[in-house]
Amino acid sequence: MQPLDLQVPRELMIALGPDLVLMGGAMILLIWAAWRPDSAAHQRAVALGSIIVAAATGVLVWMYLVKGYTATVGPVAVDNFRWMADLIILTGTIFAIALAREDNDRQGVGVAESHVLILLASAGMMLLVAARDLMILFIAVELMSIAVYALAGLNRRSARAAEGALKYFLLGAFSSAFLLYGIALLYGATGTVNLGEIAYRLLASGDVGTSPMFLAGIGLMLVGFGFKVAAVPFHMWAPDVYDGAPSPITAYMAATVKAAAFGAFLRVWIEAFPGAYDSWHTALSAVAIVTMIAGNAVGLAQKNLKRLLAYSSIGHAGYLLVAIASASLPGASAMLFYLFVYTLATFGAFAVIVAVSKKDSNVVMIEDLAGLWATRPWLAVSMAVIMLSLLGFPIFGGAGFVAKWYVLQVALQARLPQTLLAIVLVLTTVISAGYYLHVLVVMFMRSPADKANDAPPASPLTRLVLAVSVAGILILGVYPNWFQRVAAKGFPQVEEASIEGFQRMLERIGRR
Amino acid sequence: MLLSGVQEAAQHAAAGTAMDWLWLVPVLPLLGFVLNGAISLFTATKFGPADPSAAGHGHGHGADSHASDGHDHAHPEPHRLAWLSSIIGPGVLIAAFGVAVAVFMAYRAGAGEHGEPVVQNYFQWVVTGDLSISASLMIDQLSLVMLLVVTGVGALIHVFSVGYMREDPGYPRYFAYLNLFVFFMLVLVLGASYPVLFVGWEGVGLCSYLLIGFWFSEKANADAGKKAFIVNRIGDFGFLVAMFLLFSNLGSLDFTTLRSTAGTLQPGGVLVTTICLFLFLGCTGKSAQMPLYVWLPDAMAGPTPVSALIHAATMVTAGVYLIARSSFLFALSPVASLTVVVVGALTAVFAATIGLKQWDIKKVLAYSTVSQLGYMFIGVGVGAYAAGIFHLITHAFFKALLFLGSGSVIYAMHRAYHATHSHDDAQDMRNMGGLKKHMPWTFGLMWIATLAIAGVPVFSGFFSKDEILTSVFVRARESTLAEAHWFGIPGNVVLYVCYALGLAAALLTAIYMTRMMIYTFHGPNRSGEKERAHLAEAPWVMTGPLVVLGVLSALGGLLNLPAFIPVKSTAVLEHWLHPVVGESALQITNGAAPEISHSLEYTLVGIAVLIAALGIWFAFYRLKPEELVPKSQSKPEEGFDRVLEQKYFVDEGYARFIVNPTLTTSRNLLWRGIDVGLIDGLMVNGGAWTARAFGWLGSALQSGQVGTYAWVLVLGVLAVLGAVTLR
Amino acid sequence: MAAFLNSINYMGWVLPALLLIPIVGALAILVVPRAKIAPNADEIAAGTANGPRWIAFITLLVEAIVSLGLWWSFDPAVAAWQAVYDMPWIPNWGIRFTVGIDGISLMMILLTTIIMVLAVLGSWTGIRTRVRGYYALMLVLTSGMLGVFMSLDLFLFYVMWEVMLVPMYFIIGIWGGDRRIYASVKFFIYTMVGSMLMLAAIVYLGLHAADATTNIPNFGYDAVLNTARVSPQASLWLFGAFFLAFAVKVPMFPFHTWLPDAHVEAPTAGSVVLAAIMLKLGTFGFLRLAIPLFPAAAMRADVQAIVLGLAVIGIIYGALVSLVQPDFKKLVAYSSVSHLGFVMLGIFAVTVQSVQGALLVMINHGISTGALFLLIGMIYERRHTRMIDAYGGIARAVPLFAAVLTLVSLSSIGVPGTNGFIGEFLVLLGAFRTHPFLAVISATAVIFAAAYLLWAIQRILFNPLDKPENAHIPDLNKRELALLTPLIIGIIWLGVYPQPVLRRMETAATKFVERVESVTGRSTTRAAQGDR
Repeated sequence: MQPLDLQVPRELMIALGPDLVLMGGAMILLIWAAWRPDSAAHQRAVALGSIIVAAATGVLVWMYLVKGYTATVGPVAVDNFRWMADLIILTGTIFAIALAREDNDRQGVGVAESHVLILLASAGMMLLVAARDLMILFIAVELMSIAVYALAGLNRRSARAAEGALKYFLLGAFSSAFLLYGIALLYGATGTVNLGEIAYRLLASGDVGTSPMFLAGIGLMLVGFGFKVAAVPFHMWAPDVYDGAPSPITAYMAATVKAAAFGAFLRVWIEAFPGAYDSWHTALSAVAIVTMIAGNAVGLAQKNLKRLLAYSSIGHAGYLLVAIASASLPGASAMLFYLFVYTLATFGAFAVIVAVSKKDSNVVMIEDLAGLWATRPWLAVSMAVIMLSLLGFPIFGGAGFVAKWYVLQVALQARLPQTLLAIVLVLTTVISAGYYLHVLVVMFMRSPADKANDAPPASPLTRLVLAVSVAGILILGVYPNWFQRVAAKGFPQVEEASIEGFQRMLERIGRR
Repeated sequence: MLLSGVQEAAQHAAAGTAMDWLWLVPVLPLLGFVLNGAISLFTATKFGPADPSAAGHGHGHGADSHASDGHDHAHPEPHRLAWLSSIIGPGVLIAAFGVAVAVFMAYRAGAGEHGEPVVQNYFQWVVTGDLSISASLMIDQLSLVMLLVVTGVGALIHVFSVGYMREDPGYPRYFAYLNLFVFFMLVLVLGASYPVLFVGWEGVGLCSYLLIGFWFSEKANADAGKKAFIVNRIGDFGFLVAMFLLFSNLGSLDFTTLRSTAGTLQPGGVLVTTICLFLFLGCTGKSAQMPLYVWLPDAMAGPTPVSALIHAATMVTAGVYLIARSSFLFALSPVASLTVVVVGALTAVFAATIGLKQWDIKKVLAYSTVSQLGYMFIGVGVGAYAAGIFHLITHAFFKALLFLGSGSVIYAMHRAYHATHSHDDAQDMRNMGGLKKHMPWTFGLMWIATLAIAGVPVFSGFFSKDEILTSVFVRARESTLAEAHWFGIPGNVVLYVCYALGLAAALLTAIYMTRMMIYTFHGPNRSGEKERAHLAEAPWVMTGPLVVLGVLSALGGLLNLPAFIPVKSTAVLEHWLHPVVGESALQITNGAAPEISHSLEYTLVGIAVLIAALGIWFAFYRLKPEELVPKSQSKPEEGFDRVLEQKYFVDEGYARFIVNPTLTTSRNLLWRGIDVGLIDGLMVNGGAWTARAFGWLGSALQSGQVGTYAWVLVLGVLAVLGAVTLR
Repeated sequence: MAAFLNSINYMGWVLPALLLIPIVGALAILVVPRAKIAPNADEIAAGTANGPRWIAFITLLVEAIVSLGLWWSFDPAVAAWQAVYDMPWIPNWGIRFTVGIDGISLMMILLTTIIMVLAVLGSWTGIRTRVRGYYALMLVLTSGMLGVFMSLDLFLFYVMWEVMLVPMYFIIGIWGGDRRIYASVKFFIYTMVGSMLMLAAIVYLGLHAADATTNIPNFGYDAVLNTARVSPQASLWLFGAFFLAFAVKVPMFPFHTWLPDAHVEAPTAGSVVLAAIMLKLGTFGFLRLAIPLFPAAAMRADVQAIVLGLAVIGIIYGALVSLVQPDFKKLVAYSSVSHLGFVMLGIFAVTVQSVQGALLVMINHGISTGALFLLIGMIYERRHTRMIDAYGGIARAVPLFAAVLTLVSLSSIGVPGTNGFIGEFLVLLGAFRTHPFLAVISATAVIFAAAYLLWAIQRILFNPLDKPENAHIPDLNKRELALLTPLIIGIIWLGVYPQPVLRRMETAATKFVERVESVTGRSTTRAAQGDR
C-alpha cells in the first residue's frame, strides 16, 4: 500500500482520522454536557459518554496500527510510534475519566464538562505526538496545556487547587515562551520547521549544526520539553500542582501529559537532532542525572502521598530521559513500553488514593495508610504491587522491572553506550527504594490509627481501574513478550538524513 | 566402603586373629557412652507442654528432681538407675581391657617382636582432591603399650568410681562422660594418621571439659572446665598448623607414609623445626607444660577419679605420646628437641616449687603431675623415647594411686563432715592429719606411691626417673643435640643445665610429697572432735583398685630394668619399643647406642638416690604437723611463701595482660567503635541521612513561591544554554 | 532408587516442580477461610489447630521429599549440568527459563528444602498473628531461594535473587521484634545497593554475549561464560559489581552490619532461614558467577589481597565481637560473620580442598547456626528474653535443651567428630597451600570460637541456678525435639562420614578450581583428576 500523500487534503484527513474523531466526539459531548444543568447523574452520563468516545478512538487507532499506514514527508507523522503513543494516551484518558467520576462525587464537584476537558486535552496530546512540524507541535502543546490548566483548577472551592493551577499556568506560559523562542531560533538557523527538513539542513551544511543560533534553539527546546516532562530543574511546578489538583487529574498530568510530552520530545530529538548529538548530549545527560538524583532524593522527605508520587514521577522522567539520550530507535520502543507500564502504575496508585481519600478532602498523607493491610487488605496488596512496580522490582513489581530492564538494555546497547547514565539509573533506584518502602512499612508494619478511616468504599469503576492496572502490571511482569514485540516496532518514521547525520557525527567524534 | 576396608585389613599378617577385633576396643566404651547417656538424659527429661509460651511458669516440674549438685549438696538422692550404670560403665572398660590384651597377644604371636605396624582401614573419612584421610586404626608396639595402660588403669578407675560417685544424682551422666573419654583416648592412641589422632586429641579435651565442669552448678567448676578447653585449643591450633605444614610439604598425613617420606626433609632444617615446634605447642597445651599448664590445677575441680584418669594417668600424657609418635620428625630437628627438653625441665622445677606450698591435697598432686610431665618431656626431648614412655607408664601407676588415695581420703573426710553437717573444706590438708590410724590401707598404699614418685630405689618411679636423668647426662656428652646450638647456647651446656634442673626437681618432689603425707596421715588429727568419730576406710570397691595400683607402682620398674642390674631380661620396654622409636633414638645419638661405664652409671644413680633421701629427711626434719592449725584458724602466708601459695600470680597475669585487654578491645573498639560507630553510624545510617538531608533541602526549596520557581527555572536555562553552546 | 526415579523421568521435571509446589501451597493458604486462620491458644497447645501452618508444613514436607530424590538420581561423575529444564521466556531479549544443577547447587537445594520444613515447625507456636500471610510468605521465599540455586540464566538468576528479598523483608518487618522496621528496611536497602549494580552488570554481560548475526543478547549462563567478550578493565568493574552484591549477602566485613539487626529482630524462623540459607546465596554467587565469569579479575594480586584480607578480618573480627555480645542471638549473628569468612577464604584460596571445605562450611553453618537460632527461639518462647545474663544454671531445669544446645555449640566450635571440624579443617588445609600466612591467622579463630560459645553456654546453662524464674522453665516438648533431631543427625553424620557429600560436590569443585587455574596457570588439581 503506497504511503499517504499529505499534500492531498483527503489523505491528510485520513492521516488525522483518530484525532478528528476524538475532537468531534468531544465537541458533541461538550454541547450535551452544557445542555443540561449540573447533576450527579448527568455528570456520570457525560463521563460514560467520554469514555465511550475515547474507547472508540482507541479502536480506530488500533485499526490504523494494524493497517500499518505510512506517509510522505509532511506536517504530521503516520507511524507506529504515533499510534502506540495514542493508545497510551487514550488508556490514560479512560482511566482518568473513570477515576474523575468518583472523585468528583467525593469532592462534590459536579461539572460534567470536566470529562470533556480531559478529552480535549487528550486530543491535543494526540496531535502532539503526531507533529513532525514545530508549529503544529507548539499548537498541540498549547491545546493540551490550556485544557490541563483548567482541569488543575477544576475544584473552585479548593484554594490549594486554585494556587496550583495558577502556578501551573504562570510557569507553563514561561516555558511555552522558551519553547516558542527555541522554535524561532531553529527556524532562523535552518530556515525550516519540519523535523525531517531540519535533519537535511544539518546534513547539508556542517556549520548549521555549530551555529550559536541553532545550539541556543536546541537548548531552549530542551528547556521547554524539560518543563513539560517535569525534569529537574524545570520541575518546581509539579509537586504543588500535583498536590493541589484533584487526584485523577494529578494522575492524568503525571502519566498521560508526561507521556505525550515525552513522545514529542523523543520524536523531535530523534528525527531532527541526531546529527547534533554531540551538541546536546552533555546537556541532556546532565538534566537526566540531576533529575534522577533530585527527584528520588527529595521524594525521601515527603509525608504527603501525592507529593511523594509527584517526586516519584520526576524520578521516572529522569529514567525516560536516559532512553532519549541513547538516541536510538530501540530507545523509542523502550520509552513506549515504559510509558505504558508507568501509566498503569500511576493510575493504579491514584485509584488507591481516591479510594482512601475522605469526603471533601483530596489530601492524603502517607500516615493515612497506616495499617491498611488490616483494614482493607486488597487495597494494601494492590498498592504494594504498584509501589514495587514503580521501584522496578521483579515479579512482585511485575512490569516495572521489565520496563526498567528495557531502558537499561537500550542505554547499554546504543551505538554510544550510556554507561554512566545506566549506573546513575540503578543507583538512584536504590534511593527511591527509601520512600517506596516507607509506604509499604506504613501499610503493613504499622497498626491502624485508632480513629476509624471514614473513607467510603471505592466505586466499582475505581476498583476496575485498580484491578486492571495491577493485573496488567503483574501479567506484563511475567509475560511481556507480546507487548514487547509490539513496542519493538514502535519507532518513529525517520528520514535518511537523520541516520546519515548520526553516522557523520560518529565519524566526527571519532576524529576528535 | 566399609567392606573394602575390612578386606584391606584382612590382608595383613595377623588376619583372622584377635587383631580383627581391634575396632571393639574403642567401640565398647562408645557403646557405654550411648547407653549411660540415654539413661541420664531420658530419666531426667520431662517433655514440655506443646505450647511453651502458653505454659506459664510455676507448674513446671521441680528443678531439683535431677539437680546435679556437688558433693556438698544437702541430701542428694541417688539416681534410680544407678545400678544399671554401675554395670555398664566399668563393664565396657573391663571388656575393652580384655580385648586389648587379646590383641596384644595376637600381635606378639603374629607380628612378633620387630613386627611392622598393622593398619586397619574401616572407611574413607575425608577424601578430596589429592587429600585422602581414611578412618583407620594402627597397631604397633607403642600404641599397644598405650592401649594397655589406658584400658587397664581406666578399668581400675572406673571400678573405683562406682564407690566414689554412687551417691551422686548425676551418676549415669558421669559414667557416660567417662566412657566417652576412654573412647576418644583410644582413638588418640590407635589413630593411624594425624587427623584421626587429632579427633581423639580434641575429643579427650572435650570430655575433660565436661568432667571438670561435672558439678556445673558451681561457677568455679564451670570456669575451670571452660579454661581447660580454651587453653587446650591454643595448643590444638599449633597441632593444626603442624598438620597443614606436613600436608603441604609431604602430601600426606598418615604415619606410615610420613615415616617413609620424612627423610626428604632436610635434617635440622627450618621446615622440620617449625613443624616440630608447632606440634610441641600442641603438647604444651594438652600435657600442661609452660606456658599453658595453668588449666591443669584448676581441673582438679572435677571429681577425683577424673583427676586420676584424665589429669594424671592418660590424657595429659598424650603430648608425650605424640612426640614419641612423631619421633621420626623430632629426631631430625635438634633445636626443637632441645626446646622440648628445656620447657620440660623448667616446668618440672617451676611446678615443683608451687607444689611446696599448696594446702589442697589435690592441688599438690596436680602440680606434682605437671612437674612429672616435665620429666617425661625431658626424656622424649633428649631422644630417650623409651625412657619417656617408661616414666609415662610408671607415673600412670603411682599418680593414679595417689589421686585415688586422696580420693578415698576426701571421701572419708566428706562423709565425716556430712554426718556432722559441717561445711569445712574436705580437701584441705590443714583439716586432716593423723589419718593413718583411721584409714591404714590408704595410708600404706599412698606411701608406696610417694616413695615411687620420690625415686626411692626398687619402687617403679626410681627406675624411670633415673633412666631419664641418666640419658640426659649421656646425651649431653655425645649426641646431635649436644652439637647443636639452642639460641646461641651450645647444646651440651643446655643439657647439663637441664640435668641439674632435673635433680633439683627430684629433690623438691621428694620434699613436697613427704610434706603431703606428713600433713595428711601423720601428726595429730585436726578434723574436729565430732568428725573424728566418723573417719573410716573407704569401701573395698574403692580400696581394691588401690591395692592393684599399689602393686603396680611397686613393681612397675620390672618393665624396664637398667642394664647394670644383673638380671637376664633388662630394658624389656626399650627393646619392645625399638621398632617404633629406636631408629630415631639412634639418629640422635649419632647411630651408636649410648655406652657409659658402670662406674659413672653408679655415681649418677647414687646422686639420684641421695637426693631423694635428702628430700624425705628434710621434710621430716623441718615440718611440724603438731604446730599446724585447721584451715579456719590459719593465718595467711607472707613473703615468698605467699608468692608460691598464689602460684606466682600467673593466672592473675594472664587475666590482666591477655584476657581483659582482649575483651575490652573487642567491646569498646571493635564492637561499639568500629561496628556500631564507624560502619553503621557513620557510613550506613550516615549515607541514608545524607540522602534524606538532600531531600529536605530540595523540599525546602519547594517554598511555594512562584518567584523562587522562576529563578530556579532561569538558572536551569542558563545552565543548559551554557552546556549546549559554550563547548 | 535411581532406577525408579528414571522410570518416572524424575530429572525431567523435578526442578520446575520444586519451584511450583510452594507457590501452589501459598495459593492454597490464601483460599483458607478466615475463620480457620487464627487458632486459639488451646488449639495451639493441642497442636490440632488446622489452617495455614499445616498447609505450609505439608507443602514443604512434600517439597523436601520430592527434592530428596536428587540425592540418588544425581550422578557425581558428570561435570555437565543435570536435571536441566529449559524453555524460552523472552526470546527477543535472549532470555530463557533455564534451570539445572551441579553438585554445589544439589547440596544447597537439599539444605534449603530440609531447613524450610524445620523452620515452619520452629514457628509452629511462635507465630500467632496474621498466620496466613506469614506462611504464604515462607512458601514464596522457598521458591525464590531455590530459584537462585538452580537458575542457569542470568536474568532468571537476578529475578530470583530479588524475589526472595521481599518475603524476608515482610517476615522481619511484620513479625519481628521491637526494632523490626529499622532492621527490615536496612536489610532491604543494604541488599539492593549491591544487587542493582549487579543488574547493570548482568545487562552488560548479556549484551556482550549477543549473537553476532541477529544481534540478540544472550543471558544464558554457559553462553555468557564462554562467549562474552569483555576487556580486562571492564571485567574488573563487572567483577566489582557482582562482588558488592554478593559480599553484602555473605556478609563480608565491612558490609555485615545489616546482619546483626536482621537476625536479632527477625522471628525465629526468619533468623533460621537467613542464617542457614540466605547467607549461602552470597557465597554461592561467588562460586557460580563472580569468580567463574571473571577469573582473571578475581585472581589479580590486588583483588586477592583485598578479598582475602577482608575474609580473614571477618573471621577474627566476627569472633572477637561475638565474644562480648550480651544478646545471645546477636552473638550467634556475629559468629556467622566469622564462619562465612572461612567460606570466603576457602573459595578465594582456590584449591580443591579449600573449595570443598568452603562448601562443607556452608552446609555445616546452615545446620549448626540454624539449630542455634531454633534453640534460641525455643528458650525465648519460654522466658521472653534473649539476654544471656537473664539465664544461668538452667541445665538443671531443662536437661534435654541443655544437652542439645551443648552439642550444637560444639559443632559450631568445630570439635572433631562433629560436622563443624571437617569444613574448617579442609578450608584451612587447602588455603594453607596457597596462602599459608592467612591460613595460620585464620586458624587462631578456633580458639576464639571456643571462647565465645563456651562462655555463652556456661552463662546460660551452667553456673548456679540463682534466678527463681528460671527454676521451672519447661523442657523441650516433643515437637521441638522432633524438629531438632534431623539437625543433630546431620551434625554427627557429616562429622563422622562426610564422604558421600564430598563425593557429590567433588566434580563441581574441581571444575571451579580448574576454570580459575586456566588463567592463573597454577595447578593443584592434577592429583585430583589422578585418583578420581
